[in-house]
Amino acid sequence: MDSLILYALLIPALPLAAYFILCVVGNRLPRQGDWLSTGAIFTSFLCAVRIFFEMWSNFSPDWVVQQSWTWMDLSTLNIPWKLDLGVRLDNLSATMLVMVTLCAALIHLFSIGYMRDHHGKPEDGYRYTSFFSYLSLFTAAMLGLVISDNLFSLFMCWEVMGLCSYLLIGFYRHKPSAANASLKAFMTTRVGDLGLFIGLLAIFALLGSFRFEDLYNAINSGVFTNEQILGIPAAFLIGLGIFIGTVGKSAQFPLQIWLPDAMEGPTPVSALIHAATMVSAGIYLIIRVFPLLEYGGVLTIVAYVGGITCFFAAILAIKQNDIKKVLAYSTLSQLGYMVLVLGVGSYSTSFFHLITHAVFKACLFMASGAVIFAMHHEQDMREMGGLKKHLKFTFPAMLITTMAISGVPGFSGFASKDKILAYVWGYVHLHPQHALLAFFAYATAGLTAFYMFRLIFMTFWGAPRSKHAEHAHEVTWNMWLPLAILAALSFCVVYTGSVTGFGFDSIFGAANNWITKLNPAPLVVGAEAARQALEEAAHHAHYPAMIASLILASGGIFFAYLMYGSRRLSAEKLSKKWPNFVHKAIDNLYYFDWFYIKVLIQKLFLPFSDKSAKVDNVLLDRVLVDGWKDVTMVGQKASGIFDDMVVDGVMVDGVGGMLPTALGNSLRSLQNGKVQRYLMVAVVALMLLFLFRGVV
Amino acid sequence: MMNLASNLPAFLAFSFLLFSFGIVAALSRKSAIGVFMGVELMLNAAALNFVAFQTLRRGVVENGHWLHGHIFSLFVIILAAIEAAVALAIVLRIFGNRQTIDMDRATELKG
Repeated sequence: MDSLILYALLIPALPLAAYFILCVVGNRLPRQGDWLSTGAIFTSFLCAVRIFFEMWSNFSPDWVVQQSWTWMDLSTLNIPWKLDLGVRLDNLSATMLVMVTLCAALIHLFSIGYMRDHHGKPEDGYRYTSFFSYLSLFTAAMLGLVISDNLFSLFMCWEVMGLCSYLLIGFYRHKPSAANASLKAFMTTRVGDLGLFIGLLAIFALLGSFRFEDLYNAINSGVFTNEQILGIPAAFLIGLGIFIGTVGKSAQFPLQIWLPDAMEGPTPVSALIHAATMVSAGIYLIIRVFPLLEYGGVLTIVAYVGGITCFFAAILAIKQNDIKKVLAYSTLSQLGYMVLVLGVGSYSTSFFHLITHAVFKACLFMASGAVIFAMHHEQDMREMGGLKKHLKFTFPAMLITTMAISGVPGFSGFASKDKILAYVWGYVHLHPQHALLAFFAYATAGLTAFYMFRLIFMTFWGAPRSKHAEHAHEVTWNMWLPLAILAALSFCVVYTGSVTGFGFDSIFGAANNWITKLNPAPLVVGAEAARQALEEAAHHAHYPAMIASLILASGGIFFAYLMYGSRRLSAEKLSKKWPNFVHKAIDNLYYFDWFYIKVLIQKLFLPFSDKSAKVDNVLLDRVLVDGWKDVTMVGQKASGIFDDMVVDGVMVDGVGGMLPTALGNSLRSLQNGKVQRYLMVAVVALMLLFLFRGVV
Repeated sequence: MMNLASNLPAFLAFSFLLFSFGIVAALSRKSAIGVFMGVELMLNAAALNFVAFQTLRRGVVENGHWLHGHIFSLFVIILAAIEAAVALAIVLRIFGNRQTIDMDRATELKG
């Protein structure tokens, strides 16, 4: 076995082992085992770095190391079904591994500080161990998902992540809102998982394999050409099913409702699961099956879902006062960006943004956690203000990452967002009927800069607006160190430092970054021309897009400064100019929850379940079950009579009673104890034997 | 002397009669002594048969097989004597126990 494969297997295995150990003896370990969980993930991180450097030294888009083991092979039964589980290390998974292990390790470190004081000292800290064991299990599942070479083990890890998400959102289980949020997240993602599962099974039914490699080969060898399911092209249906899985997991329109509520979980969880890793697992999945989406023609749907999500989530973020809610909507919006650009057709840009976003969003969430921590668990930004002089480390980290997400040049978000805008511009240039997508993308760019700087100004600038804000203290080193590391990684250089030997020639040019270079979209026969055209258009659109993005970002920042920094403009007066229905729509989150609960559930599902309960009661219980009782009663009576008459009367009393009596009476005389009679019988028997000897 | 060989059927007929009387006596007599006597008759019928059939083996005298029948009949007589001793002892014990030797009264074997 390749040693790299061993490293790859170690990466999820270590957190998993930590999970099991914490489950069994966690509370008896010193410090309740937080070091075990953190140490495991740091070791995983080292393994991931080892793999990453192996990839780096073989700098090539085609680098791949994979190995799979047969789990079930039905070919001996003449069924061409084969279930393999395996590891696939390519540029995509190697980069992703480093990102996930790094974020997870830093968030583990952050959690030690955050959760420890949250629950008193570790010695008496309630459920401190559970928290770390859940984090470990989640990390193991996420890493298992990343190294999977097939959809099957990916799906298993996917579901484990869903479970961990449920457990961690509802971690403060004494709060009804947290319990409800965890349930909501679980149920909503379940809708998406159903789609993914259907897609998965359809792939297996068609190909007899779950492996990505087989899927790519099947697409290029034309297996899907004339394949149809229910009269719809199979590739479209499967691609849509898998995309619905992503919609659930990555909280895209229309299943976005669970992510803002998921902020009920502890802040490190929001950083790890609901910003950096789990929600991007959905993006990772559609990046993995991108050829299928492209071949099946699902991409337009993908693009619109992404566009709608990124724009409308950004609008929601403007009106939030809870610091975590702003970040939650911003996560939705950025995930929408990734989906949008994937739908537009740029595989590698989506992945690029995934990585940069994970880094700066993990930092933003942890920084907000540090702010909340310093504010004694006050999350309302209206109570904050003036924190920049108290939080010496948190503030610069948050400022850097905010500039990154807003697309300020020199930061990672600028590079990736600029590429997204360029591709969307190029796409719209090629397909003018989809101009709405460009509007979504560009409007979101401006809105993002606005609401993020609104957050910064409301939190860090101005005068303190509460007692807690006046007496805020900087957090301990294990909380600000992760922020510092992630903030350092939010600089553009990390991603666009040229690897081809030209130095840092392209710090401001987003075209040359190693992530995009390493991850060209997998080959799809027949798609070359369209891709080429898109690349061409995006290349031409690059400078206009960059300029537009700069204008929009600086405009957003400027307005945020005017309204919340210097307060020259009154936000309240401006907001009164918006029509009332807009406010209402935003306050009610576009009526999605209302629609799902009042319309879908109460008007549709509940009556339906009432009806089906009635069917159950009347048809099944009363008619079938009770009716069957009557039928069986008649049968019982008949068989009772039969029992009495035939079995008891004739068989038992008659045959069973009379025959043995008669037989016994007649045979009794044989056993009368008289020797002469015995002798007589013997003689007669002997004579009979002699008599019949000749016959026989 | 009578030619035994030529009169074999007569001997066999006599032996048959003897055996028949014996078996009828053994089966029908109430007295244990009668039964015992019937058994003696049957044994002697068998011994007579041995002697009678020995005559058929005249031709093989040279090989020293000419006395087998007679020797067997002697064995039968000895056996009958032993049996008489044992049987009379049993009859005496039965009489000692129940003051009768009626066979119909001895029904301990009844199942």
